[in-house]
Amino acid sequence: MRVVLYTGKGGVGKTTTAAATAACAAARGRRVLALSADPAHSLGDVLGERLGPEPRRVAASEVRGRPLVLDACEVDARAEMERHWGAVRDWLVAIFRYQGIEETVAEELALLPGAEELSALLAVEAFAKGGAYDLVVVDCAPTGSTLRLLALPELARSAFRVVLRMQQAIASVVTPLARGLLAVPLPDAAVFGDADALFYKRLRDLRRLVTGPRTSARLVVTPERMVIDEALRAHTDLALFEVPCDAVVMNRMLPDDATREAFFRDWSRVQTERLEEVEARFAPLPVLRAPLREDEVVGVAALARHGAELFGRRDPGAVLQTGPRLRFVRDDEGLRLELPLPHAEPRGLEVSKRDDELWIATGAQRRSLKLPRTLARASLRAARLAAGTLVVRFEAARP
Amino acid sequence: MRVLLFTGKGGVGKTTHTLATALGAAAHGHRVCVLSADPAHSLGDALGRPVGARAVQVAPGVVAREVNAQEELDRSWTEIHRWLRALLREGADELVAEEVLVFPGLEELVALRAVREAEATGEFDVCIVDCAPTGATLRMLRFPDALRIFMENFFELERRGARLLRPLVARTQAGRLLPREEFFDAVERLYGEVEDVRQILLDETRTSARLVVNPARVVVDETRRSFAYLCLYGVATDAVIVNRVLPPEAARGWFARWAAKERAELAEIEASFPVPLLHAPLQPSEVRGEPALRALAEALYAERDPADRFAEARPFRFVRTGGRTRLEIDLPGARKEELEVGVRGDELFIRVRDASRRVALPASLAGRAVARVRLAEGVLRIEFEP
Repeated sequence: MRVVLYTGKGGVGKTTTAAATAACAAARGRRVLALSADPAHSLGDVLGERLGPEPRRVAASEVRGRPLVLDACEVDARAEMERHWGAVRDWLVAIFRYQGIEETVAEELALLPGAEELSALLAVEAFAKGGAYDLVVVDCAPTGSTLRLLALPELARSAFRVVLRMQQAIASVVTPLARGLLAVPLPDAAVFGDADALFYKRLRDLRRLVTGPRTSARLVVTPERMVIDEALRAHTDLALFEVPCDAVVMNRMLPDDATREAFFRDWSRVQTERLEEVEARFAPLPVLRAPLREDEVVGVAALARHGAELFGRRDPGAVLQTGPRLRFVRDDEGLRLELPLPHAEPRGLEVSKRDDELWIATGAQRRSLKLPRTLARASLRAARLAAGTLVVRFEAARP
Repeated sequence: MRVLLFTGKGGVGKTTHTLATALGAAAHGHRVCVLSADPAHSLGDALGRPVGARAVQVAPGVVAREVNAQEELDRSWTEIHRWLRALLREGADELVAEEVLVFPGLEELVALRAVREAEATGEFDVCIVDCAPTGATLRMLRFPDALRIFMENFFELERRGARLLRPLVARTQAGRLLPREEFFDAVERLYGEVEDVRQILLDETRTSARLVVNPARVVVDETRRSFAYLCLYGVATDAVIVNRVLPPEAARGWFARWAAKERAELAEIEASFPVPLLHAPLQPSEVRGEPALRALAEALYAERDPADRFAEARPFRFVRTGGRTRLEIDLPGARKEELEVGVRGDELFIRVRDASRRVALPASLAGRAVARVRLAEGVLRIEFEP
């Protein structure tokens, strides 16, 4: 089972590329689900169908008379909150010691910040594990929101740790005294333990899903300066969260016939330069190319053709490129951590350590990375960027 | 102060038009503040010079800043900050205490506060916001509602609990961890500020949304939905900017058929939006830097003042006729099967496709049942029992 996530600046053609990947893979015999995780859903527009939160077979899914296994759905925070109501309720009870939760409806919770991202992750996980599909293609929201989505499991862990810590301290000291005083019943310590385990385990599972070996992100770009700049930043940020990228799609290349038009002379000169730049800077990732089309690519047949042109003999569902991952290395100087961070600038990079967590910030994004037990007591010695890799050295704790 | 919100599907040219409009408004003598509320900031990319979290003058009469949640936390909310720092005190260095504070929803909160702040300085006539693509923008507009749910369901409970517990735990470990009354006051103040911004955004004489669209089917479809969602949230759109229209000299050779298709899309756009359309032609090269942006403003607004109100409509209104009050919402293009309307206590719940809103009913309508819901000619009319 494979998960492929498409992201990039708004308007570059993510949805079309995601749908074309799904249609092409289905035409080649895979069982495919196309899932829209962008709250401004447009997957249905491209497929020419109304979609809902439950996957449904795309009506026109056949190519040359052969039926395809091509399903599609749009994540809906409300539906997802209802689906996972039991777990969500348990978390809230523990976190806010809020027993009146029954009166709050899933629909209201779906409005709370973070709910959309959580819903999308839960949905991808459910379908990825369900076994009904060989490939799940996710049409993500534009770059900024996608990073929020991928960072959510860790972010939530930090935020809720604070709240839980407070609640736990209060409960352990105060509960015996306060039970009689408060109208609201306070849960005892055991409930915290349960919720803690439940919550962390779920988040860890979600995080494993997005960083696992069967998940890849693909960046979609067009030959425009602003678009490429944003994709370079996104590539760094995805690497920071250990989400592997396996390809770049260069979309909307002016075809040769078009580049001969006088009005487009400057546009075509620029696009040649940009293509070379993208190939050089994202190397060794393959750069798949798709031409600007005079017809909008709508409908399964057109999408499958578009996908065939994009991938050629490549398998749309394959891992198109593997690169180095986060690793811990031991040498004469002790232990070091190596995290690939392509295009990262030393300026704006911050690294610090607290207990068993390493905090890394790259300009706009930051994450906390849980260190292995052996490093929990070690101190931070040096951090530097070398050839697109962050190397962090530790000083072993003195016995 | 006028507020202009630029939004639309990703990649249509929101940032470019935000800046072109800012330069155009400044040329009409307005003092302009440009805010980027898109976490993937690109004001700097479009200007060809860096813009950061601190306001910088980018042209005569134009100040710009990219709203940054982290930066904002460093500057304000000392109370909330102090409490969280205390909570993390053992072994926590400053950095970590701050990282933890970047919670979901913060970006929306910070963007909304930035608008209020621009108004409070009294230094600006126009505030132009480069919003995130549609989905995230709607999330920002919905934020005040989400905050209200939090305040009503969780906040009061926490506050009451803390008040009761404080005397009991004053000298214990938990006493230190219990938020102080000032913390709750700070959260409440914050809530008040968000409410202030909501009032600004819902006032159609002050705030207008401008939707940027390209003549392409998928873009038009999404923008039509966004238009309806903005109406549902009570934000008035006063113009739709049609960007990247092929100029006649470009519509030749390979692009001749393209131009024919585009004409069909332009007709579709014309029929879809009940507000004025402003056209911007595709430029002969990338629009980047001040001269190119000024040329675009010229093409878009000509002699008109970009800060003017281009349409008078009020999309969300209570109308009183014959002693009965009804609620009217402009929802062009909406279909009956996409709507859901219900009353819960003194609140009205309205859902249009993917967007929903809970509206507090005026006192005169509280507790009344919905008598009739009708969708005709792009207007949703909700009538109440007398």
